[in-house]
Amino acid sequence: MTPVVRRVRGAVGLAVAAACALVAGCVTVDPAQSVRQLDQKVPAFGTESLQFLREVQKPEERREAVKAVLAKPLGQTEAVRVAMLNSAAMQVLVAQNVAEATAAAQSGRIGNPWFNYERMRSEDHLEISRMLSFGVLELLTLPQRQRLAAESRRAAEWQLAAAVVDEVTQIRQAWVNAVASAQSAAYAERILQSAQASAELARRMEAAGNFNRIARARQQAYEAEAVTSHALARQAASVAREQLIRKLGLDATQADTLQLPQRLPDLPAAPLEAAKVGAVASDARLDVQLAEAQLRAALRAEGLNGWTSRTDIELGLRREADGGARGFEVDLRLPVFDWGGLQRQGARARSLAAAQQLEATLRAAGSQTRESYVRYLTAYELARHHREELLPLRTVISEETLLRYNGMFIGVFELLADARDQIDTVRAVISAEQQFWLAEAALQSTIVGRPAAGAAESIMRAPAAADAAAH
Amino acid sequence: MKSRRQFFSMAGMVGGAAVAGSVSRVAMAALPEPVIEQGAQTRPPLQPSSGRPYRPVTTLNGWTLPFRMRDGVKEFHLVAEPVVREFAPGFKANLWGYNGQSPGPTIEVVEGDKLRIFVTNRLPEATTIHWHGQRLPNGMDGVTGLTQPSIPPGKTFVYEFVARRPGTFMYHPHTDEMVQMAMGMMGFWVTHPRGPNPLIDEADRDFCFLLNAFDIDPGSATPRIMTMLDFNIWSWNSRVFPGIDPLVVRLGDRVRLRVGNLTMTNHPIHLHGHEFQVTGTDGGPTPRSTRRYEVTEDVAVGQMKQLDFIADEEGDWAVHCHKSHHTMNAMGHDVPTMIGVEQADLARKISDLVPGYMEMGSHGMDEMSTMRMPLPANTLPMMMGEGPFGALGMGGMFSVVKVRRNQKRGDYTDPGWFKHPPGTVAYEYQGETPPPVRGGTR
Ligand SMILES: [Cu+2]
Repeated sequence: MTPVVRRVRGAVGLAVAAACALVAGCVTVDPAQSVRQLDQKVPAFGTESLQFLREVQKPEERREAVKAVLAKPLGQTEAVRVAMLNSAAMQVLVAQNVAEATAAAQSGRIGNPWFNYERMRSEDHLEISRMLSFGVLELLTLPQRQRLAAESRRAAEWQLAAAVVDEVTQIRQAWVNAVASAQSAAYAERILQSAQASAELARRMEAAGNFNRIARARQQAYEAEAVTSHALARQAASVAREQLIRKLGLDATQADTLQLPQRLPDLPAAPLEAAKVGAVASDARLDVQLAEAQLRAALRAEGLNGWTSRTDIELGLRREADGGARGFEVDLRLPVFDWGGLQRQGARARSLAAAQQLEATLRAAGSQTRESYVRYLTAYELARHHREELLPLRTVISEETLLRYNGMFIGVFELLADARDQIDTVRAVISAEQQFWLAEAALQSTIVGRPAAGAAESIMRAPAAADAAAH
Repeated sequence: MKSRRQFFSMAGMVGGAAVAGSVSRVAMAALPEPVIEQGAQTRPPLQPSSGRPYRPVTTLNGWTLPFRMRDGVKEFHLVAEPVVREFAPGFKANLWGYNGQSPGPTIEVVEGDKLRIFVTNRLPEATTIHWHGQRLPNGMDGVTGLTQPSIPPGKTFVYEFVARRPGTFMYHPHTDEMVQMAMGMMGFWVTHPRGPNPLIDEADRDFCFLLNAFDIDPGSATPRIMTMLDFNIWSWNSRVFPGIDPLVVRLGDRVRLRVGNLTMTNHPIHLHGHEFQVTGTDGGPTPRSTRRYEVTEDVAVGQMKQLDFIADEEGDWAVHCHKSHHTMNAMGHDVPTMIGVEQADLARKISDLVPGYMEMGSHGMDEMSTMRMPLPANTLPMMMGEGPFGALGMGGMFSVVKVRRNQKRGDYTDPGWFKHPPGTVAYEYQGETPPPVRGGTR
């Protein structure tokens, strides 16, 4: 926990201790409790990564833990773990939630009583009166307000859970992008090497008189193109790495030690089944839970508003000093100019909005899941297709190309052009697998009720076999 | 290797149920049983068993079709059908041919013979046979639509004519002929003189072969039938070196080479170590006054040439088409010249990208004849063949005339490589050599 949170916690602790002594059943806020709630609220989210939020440790311990994880190439699960331990942004989320929860809890308490002390002196007379006053309506509506506070706090917890799921999804996707683009850049470098070899040979061919300028220039043009693609691929890899570094909240030292795996994980043997994806009941979804909590809070607020919008009652107990006269005072706000209709109308509208929001969320839930699943499934099939159909086909073409080179049916330039085409296909395979893992992260998020975008629009296209001859 | 389709009659004797198409046996009774041959080895000359005698020819990597005499008529049965032909060990092609092979069997007849040739079409499309160069009734000329209806698949037609003049001929389809000849349908024909002919000397060894060409993509097996000129397989009787048998002769033999060209280009046929005379052309024997000595004779498209020489120099003498790319097997026509371009330092980089890569061509292409690198399936190396002194680096239209003192008459067995008399083989200079002077000025 950051110092901010601890200060909040400390302050809240004091206040709560005092208040609870006064009123039983008072709503309290405990950040650790908040985090534990989170675990229960998102039980089936992909990995068990959210468990890590529990590990409330000292900064030094966290740093050591992060260092240990970073010592090896960072897997996707470990990336989430590092972010949980390390990311200031993640801690901000938790702290904001605590702030909201305390605000909610606050509304579930009665205002402190007023003590009024009057001391008035006329020529011969000293009048001292003391009065203790408090809001009667506040007291009367305390149970309602406590229930409202509890609902608001629950809504805030769901909000936090949703924010954490979003964050985790982004981390997972950032990791996928970083690994895939580094992998792709490595292959772009091989394409560049091939083009450089072609260009160098072409220069020697021209020097020996075997090539004319145009033949040499064509080979050199491939090199020039390859330089561009290579630079762009390297940039993409750097950008994706930096995005991941920010998501993980790494400082400069940590960022230096960050190593990524050489390649994306293997595709799962089979895609998630539609039945399993659809089996997550809609009332287990975060968005549904959040909308429900917000509706309950709105209804509570509306109910409370039914009272508070009309009047306000204060009771004061007065005691005069001399003569010991005692009595009480009742302040009643008269609904003369404002009967509170607008307030009630507003509260009613907020309840209606919350109800409609819940309805809209419920209706959209199935469709979002289906869409996300279709994207996931298509990405899976395309990735498999790339690895199991396109890549083997391309390999056959390359094998036969080498055999044709051996037989002097083609020259070394065609051989090198084919090598470039083959590497392009490998990059297309990487791209397809990247799309799959992005879609997978999006689906996991969507299933638990945080519809997330998957991948960019299209997969890098593998070169058609027929193109080879044109190079 | 002759099968004579005997299994048909044997199956008939054993059971009968298994005889396919036995319904047509009665109808087929008048037909000579077709003789089918497999394999691409050179068969010994087929001595005639009946009819007027003649000295039979040797068909290079082929055979002569047996005939039967029926009421004074020589009857042959040609069957047009899909075949598989081995061009050389390691390379087989799906072709169309006659009686089991491409080219079809050689037909040998004698001047004045009455002939009846049954032609059965087992191809998926119609065909005819044109008897290239023959004098015959117009309706026997075999031109679809012009002189006869085509022979539909499954049908048998009969050609009848008299072999009117002696000479060297060919036969080939005249229906969809671009496709059918690209697929290998052709055969040789020799009409022997009926008696001594002042213009035709008796040859001791009489070899015949057709020049043919195919375009077969390396790794595939069926010719590309739409290729007009850019063929990659240049063959003699649908064989390429080293699949072409040597022409084995006895020292002092009068040797005759009969060559017919059914490719789409000309071929200058060149013989080492001897001079020959062109003793016959498309029109028959040449007048003696026109004969002069040559070492190369061009055989133009659609032509036949008859070359005679006395094999009076012992040794292994090359005989080949003098277009040097015709003595090569399939190769790429767009492969850049790498001569003088150092690749060794880049080879490592390239083989890192293309595992299995080897640099080639920096010093010419001779290294191809010794490299044994994996090639596409069913493909011959561009240059191949092993001789007594190493790799020959040849292919296509190339063979060897082996002239041997001790070769027995009528014996065509390969005697092996020539044993050169001592001191008659080019040798390396053993004295001081001046320091090498680099050619060129760079
Ligand atoms: Cu030629």
